[in-house]
Amino acid sequence: MNYIVKMWLGFCLCLFIGKQVSAQSDSTSFYVNEVLSPSNDSARTQAIKRLVSIRNPSTFPILSAINDKKIYMVDGKAVTTGEVEELADGSEIFPLFYLFPENKPVLDTDGKPKKTSEGSLKKVDISRSDRLSLNLILPYLNLANPEPKKRIVAYGQLLTSADDTKIKILSEALKLENDKEARTAGKEILFQLKLNEAVSENEARAYIDSLDSNWGENVTIILKEYSASGKLAGAKKYAAEKVEALEGLQSRIEKAQNLFSGLSLGSILILIALGLAIVYGLAGIINMAHGEFLMIGAYTTFCVQSLFIDTLGIKSDMFFFVSLPISFIVAGLFGLVLERLVIRHLYSRPLESLLATWGVSLIMVQTARSIFGDLTAVKAPSFLAGGWQVMPHLILPYNRLFIIVLTIVVVSLTYLMLYRSRLGIQIRAVTQNRSMSACLGVETRKVDAITFFLGSGLAGLAGCAMTLIGNVVPDMGQTYIVDSFLVVVTGGVGKIAGAILSGLGIGFLTKVLESFYEAVYGKVLILALIVVFLQFKPRGLFPDKGRIAED
Amino acid sequence: MEKTKDFRLYGAFIVLFLVLLPLGNLFGIVSNNTISLWGRYFCFAIVALGVDLIWGYTGILSMCQAFFFCLGGYSVAMHIVMKGATASGADGTSIPDFMVWNQVESLPFFWAPFQSFGLAMILGLLIPAAFAFVFGYFIFRSRIKGVYMAIITQALALAMWLLFLRNETMLGGTNGLTDFKSLLGFSLASPNVKLGLYLLSLAGLCGTYFLSKKLVDSKFGKVLQAIRDSESRTSYTAYRVLDYKLAVFIVGALLAAFAGMLYAPQTGIITPGRMDVRASVEMVMWVALGGRGKLKGAIMGALIVNFLYSICTSLFPDSWLFILGFLFVITVLYFDKGFLGMIEIIGNKFRKKQITEKVSGRQVVES
Repeated sequence: MNYIVKMWLGFCLCLFIGKQVSAQSDSTSFYVNEVLSPSNDSARTQAIKRLVSIRNPSTFPILSAINDKKIYMVDGKAVTTGEVEELADGSEIFPLFYLFPENKPVLDTDGKPKKTSEGSLKKVDISRSDRLSLNLILPYLNLANPEPKKRIVAYGQLLTSADDTKIKILSEALKLENDKEARTAGKEILFQLKLNEAVSENEARAYIDSLDSNWGENVTIILKEYSASGKLAGAKKYAAEKVEALEGLQSRIEKAQNLFSGLSLGSILILIALGLAIVYGLAGIINMAHGEFLMIGAYTTFCVQSLFIDTLGIKSDMFFFVSLPISFIVAGLFGLVLERLVIRHLYSRPLESLLATWGVSLIMVQTARSIFGDLTAVKAPSFLAGGWQVMPHLILPYNRLFIIVLTIVVVSLTYLMLYRSRLGIQIRAVTQNRSMSACLGVETRKVDAITFFLGSGLAGLAGCAMTLIGNVVPDMGQTYIVDSFLVVVTGGVGKIAGAILSGLGIGFLTKVLESFYEAVYGKVLILALIVVFLQFKPRGLFPDKGRIAED
Repeated sequence: MEKTKDFRLYGAFIVLFLVLLPLGNLFGIVSNNTISLWGRYFCFAIVALGVDLIWGYTGILSMCQAFFFCLGGYSVAMHIVMKGATASGADGTSIPDFMVWNQVESLPFFWAPFQSFGLAMILGLLIPAAFAFVFGYFIFRSRIKGVYMAIITQALALAMWLLFLRNETMLGGTNGLTDFKSLLGFSLASPNVKLGLYLLSLAGLCGTYFLSKKLVDSKFGKVLQAIRDSESRTSYTAYRVLDYKLAVFIVGALLAAFAGMLYAPQTGIITPGRMDVRASVEMVMWVALGGRGKLKGAIMGALIVNFLYSICTSLFPDSWLFILGFLFVITVLYFDKGFLGMIEIIGNKFRKKQITEKVSGRQVVES
């Protein structure tokens, strides 16, 4: 008997609660309707006041639209306008968003976001005094801002607000959150608030665990603060342990990031040094203007981009793929011209070639400066924006990944060219013994010219890749030229394997040392390391074997 | 014949720079600016002498002479700045103004010796020499030479330039050291002091020229040239090549530092911009343009290029790099011996014509 009564009571309780909840949501939509189409003037004022006191996050979009005076009626539903877009004829159109019960874009019949001009919309006029009554909940309105960044700021502001209901509001706002980053940030604030109010140790531990698994931006700071000034001794200790674990993890992630940037710096160095090493090995030419071919490649990419986007009007990322081969060819042709005019007369006179090509590089930099001005930038193709998120807080940017892949492809192609083709055999033969190859019928001059074309072209390709990670400036080549010469020196003359190994090594070491010391001290240390290294291996990693006397 | 020609050249040089220019300055025909400009060119000529000793005579292409130059310049500048310091640090010692702007409380330890003039002079020479010794020892020991040497020294210049650019090295960062007031009680702004510094630089140039000439004419100089022509053969004849190269490297560094010490008070500023890679390569270019392997050529190159520089930058500022670049290329390609070589070739042709005319004239008479 008793049992049945309890069941009944429970059933009634459920019904009662359900009725209450549905009554609340009903009243919310009722008041929203009242705001949009009031039965009389005082009804709207009442309705807004009610909505303010209910503080239901699903009404925040509409309230914030009221506050911004950007509320309109379309087909009997309230909408607001988004970011303005300017059309070619100067008129402005806006995308539209529904406000209640869901905050989502208005779609036209094709399922595309609907856009319209402001004049075609029917504005809902709401009096100033009604808008002023929103002041009470202004800090909360941004919780429903369409931009995730603004929402994150709004979540953060809740921390310092003195309102008792903030936890409830926050947890309801988070239910509507659909941006990943903003949700993590919001949850972090929520857990922090709950943790600070936790009364039992188990509860506190649970929130610490939640903070840990949520892994937001500030989790270590929050836990550190709690472990220093929390209320529960056991939880404080637990928080301290978590902080230690998290910091260890973060330093490991940082290391991984460093290794990755070392890899990407190394692959840039390899791309530049590859051409240098081949040319130096073959003809004994130190080409100080090599960095300027990099610049030519970058400017070629810039020109191709302007041609595609401004002249032809093709707004796609195709220009980048087109500019890869074009920059190779353009830089190579410039190299060919330089070889014909200057370098041809300097074979096997490295020091003279160094000075003459330095002069050439001055001319080239100044020419670029007078043509293009001081600073231009290539818009990186959109598919290379962003990065590959390996795990939270470890993001590998796509542009750097692309450079690494490009380097691998280019190096393999160069290897095939040198070791699997007739031209490669000729290049290697001339590198080993010029006069003997000439005797055996190799046209050494032609081989020289082709090699120089290839070497300069590789630099141009590197320049094209460099536009992904930096600006295009006339003296961009000079930044890397000394480093890439160091790669050639440490790698050994004319050796692909040497260039690869030492390029990677110097790239890694630079980034690793930079993470310990300032970048500059890292550079000084690298130089010292190279000098020490050359004490043991004066001819680089892979010296020429043989008994050719020095002079 | 050669001797008298030399003496004629020295005579012309001395008349022009020791008599005409200073007298013109005293009578107000030559501006103070010109005087101090030529004073600076003499400093560059002293560096060029060092480069010529290292590169022209020994065949080592060093691309960090500008760094040694700046070490000398900075040490004098540090002394001047210390003396002109008005602010005082936490412990009561006076510290330079730029440190106050950088919120430095007390004088860094390595600034302390530069309060005394004598110590500053000694350190200005000693630090570059010690640096050249250590760096040169490790480089020459592992038989790095030729292009490798050029690249390594270039990297050194780059690294040091970056280091001097930093604020926390306490050397003024990008702005360098400036606001020089007085040296040994002489105000650096007064025209007479400027003329004095000009004469001092001229004397320094003459002194270093004759010392260098003594050096290259001595047996030591002959060994240097032997190393340039064939290093391995020189070492087979039981000369310790390492010692010779090291010695001449240090001499070059000392010359550069000495020039820097004369240079800083005349310009009134010294910045890391003076020691970047380009500055070093330009110093080598002066020698290449003037004619390497000839001390006179080095001096001529430095004076002519810098004179051209000030003319060109005022007349057509944008094209100086074009002119310099073309000069580099043309000289290296066609005039291997530089200006001096060019003059000699023309002179020889002229003389040969005279001789052949004389010879043919005699033949006419005899027949």
